[in-house]
Amino acid sequence: MAVVVDIAKVLSPFDDAAGILVSPVGVAAGFPSPAQDYFDGRIDLNAHLIRDITSTFIVRVAGDSMRDAGISDGDEVIVDRSIEPRDGVVVVAVVDGELTLKRLSVLRDRVVLRAENPRYPDIVVASLSELTIWGVVTRCLHRV
Amino acid sequence: MSDQRTALLDVNNFFASCERVFDPKLEGRPVVVLSNNDGCVVARSAEAKALGVTMGAPWFSLAPMAEKFGIVARSSNYELYGDLSSRVMEIAGRFTSHLEVYSIDEAFLHLSGTPAQNSALAAELRATIRRHTGLPVCVGIAQSKTLAKLANHGAKKSPYMNGVCNLDDFTPERVNAVMESMPVTELWGVAGRTRKRLTNLGVLTIRDLRDSDPEFIRKRFSVVLQRTVHELRGIDCISIDSMREIKGQIIYSRSFSTPVTTRAEMEQVLAVYAARVSKRLRKQGYVAGALTCYAATSRFANAENHAPFVAVRFDDSTDDPIQIAAACSQALLGRVVDGNKYVRAGIMLHEISRAKPSEFLEIFTPVSELRQVGRALDTVTDRFGASSIGLGVAGLKSARRWEMKRELLSPRATTHWDELATVFAR
Repeated sequence: MAVVVDIAKVLSPFDDAAGILVSPVGVAAGFPSPAQDYFDGRIDLNAHLIRDITSTFIVRVAGDSMRDAGISDGDEVIVDRSIEPRDGVVVVAVVDGELTLKRLSVLRDRVVLRAENPRYPDIVVASLSELTIWGVVTRCLHRV
Repeated sequence: MSDQRTALLDVNNFFASCERVFDPKLEGRPVVVLSNNDGCVVARSAEAKALGVTMGAPWFSLAPMAEKFGIVARSSNYELYGDLSSRVMEIAGRFTSHLEVYSIDEAFLHLSGTPAQNSALAAELRATIRRHTGLPVCVGIAQSKTLAKLANHGAKKSPYMNGVCNLDDFTPERVNAVMESMPVTELWGVAGRTRKRLTNLGVLTIRDLRDSDPEFIRKRFSVVLQRTVHELRGIDCISIDSMREIKGQIIYSRSFSTPVTTRAEMEQVLAVYAARVSKRLRKQGYVAGALTCYAATSRFANAENHAPFVAVRFDDSTDDPIQIAAACSQALLGRVVDGNKYVRAGIMLHEISRAKPSEFLEIFTPVSELRQVGRALDTVTDRFGASSIGLGVAGLKSARRWEMKRELLSPRATTHWDELATVFAR
């Protein structure tokens, strides 16, 4: 016969203080929860937002040319330098010696660095090899 | 003969290259990095070397040249260099069964492939580090550490090699020619009196030394130089620690009798090592402006290699063991993984200078002014007592450094949230 343990009791601070590992779910005694074995800590943002820590950098955005991509002035973006730049990704490119945020558009006959704001012009080159792509943006950290 | 090979990985002009990672404008421009304490050149980009900028030159003496050639100066940003270094080392660790970190920008990798496989691996390592961190590196591959160093030198000097030089690709005649073209002083630790005595014996080039009788060299010089002869003949026999000591660095590094597996133990180790390394410093009358600190797991352990390596810059140069120990603990312990079996650790000191208590005043204040300050102090203390006023050296010092930082220190873009690099969206 399965006895359902009161969840409030399981999560009581006294249990915690006594050094008992509290599981995030209520436990039915006699019927072990499959999730229990996997509880080994709180959510680690590094683990979820960063794929390869050695090639990942966080940089801060200045300007509003990527507004329509959801990237605002003052946001931080996560950049992974190990990712191959492809058509459609947001990249940090070196333009006139500055790290610059653009949408990469690889077309048949040319490559375009697009701003995501109509007030800013595109940069057009003949091929990818003419560009220095510093890294690929994977996430934007925006304060709401 | 063993198929084991040693590769020396070395970041080109490490400090200057780090400065370029977040500031691409510096690409192609002469860059120098200054010590924070006295504003002397501690690192140069290739362009700055080509202009004849020498190591140790005070920045103010370079002013006319700097203006003419557009030389850019930066204060040492040890936080940035330390972080980029650990990224390079972590990537390198994926390419070998055993990584030995030799310094902040150099590491030895053990390779066991065919010559062609080793070269291909080194080329991939080089491309990966460049892409993932932005740093340019060179790799030299040979049968011993000393030969790997020579090969690395070749990779740096000959652009056609694309940054990888594998001595296995050289015919014996070509190796002879390379060694003949290099004076013995190109070797680690051969200088001064040793060089003179070698010259008197007709040993001028690296080839001459290689072809000397090892027994003779041991009797006339030392067992260390004898090992160098063996190394030049392809026998790997110099440990990484003796190599560091040959290079004349102030370092304390040891293997443990039993592995250290917890942070708490590692903290104790670091405290002891800090006391020992600072003693060496004090004995010679020096203070250090920065340090690097590392720990490493065994190369024979089945678990993954782990070799955390950190760098710390002091606000004020120091020989204080407590400060050195605290800096090591603070920087390294966070990277030590509980449960890993660490078999060695070490502390290396950098930006070594003579300990001078009033160095700031001596350098920047005319003597006459010092005397006036002294007289004013005397007047005040005569009237109000000895503890009423003192020289605010600390205050003056930090004010000056703050000024310098604002001007020349690049952002600590990978370790400080409020100093992240800027990307422009405009």
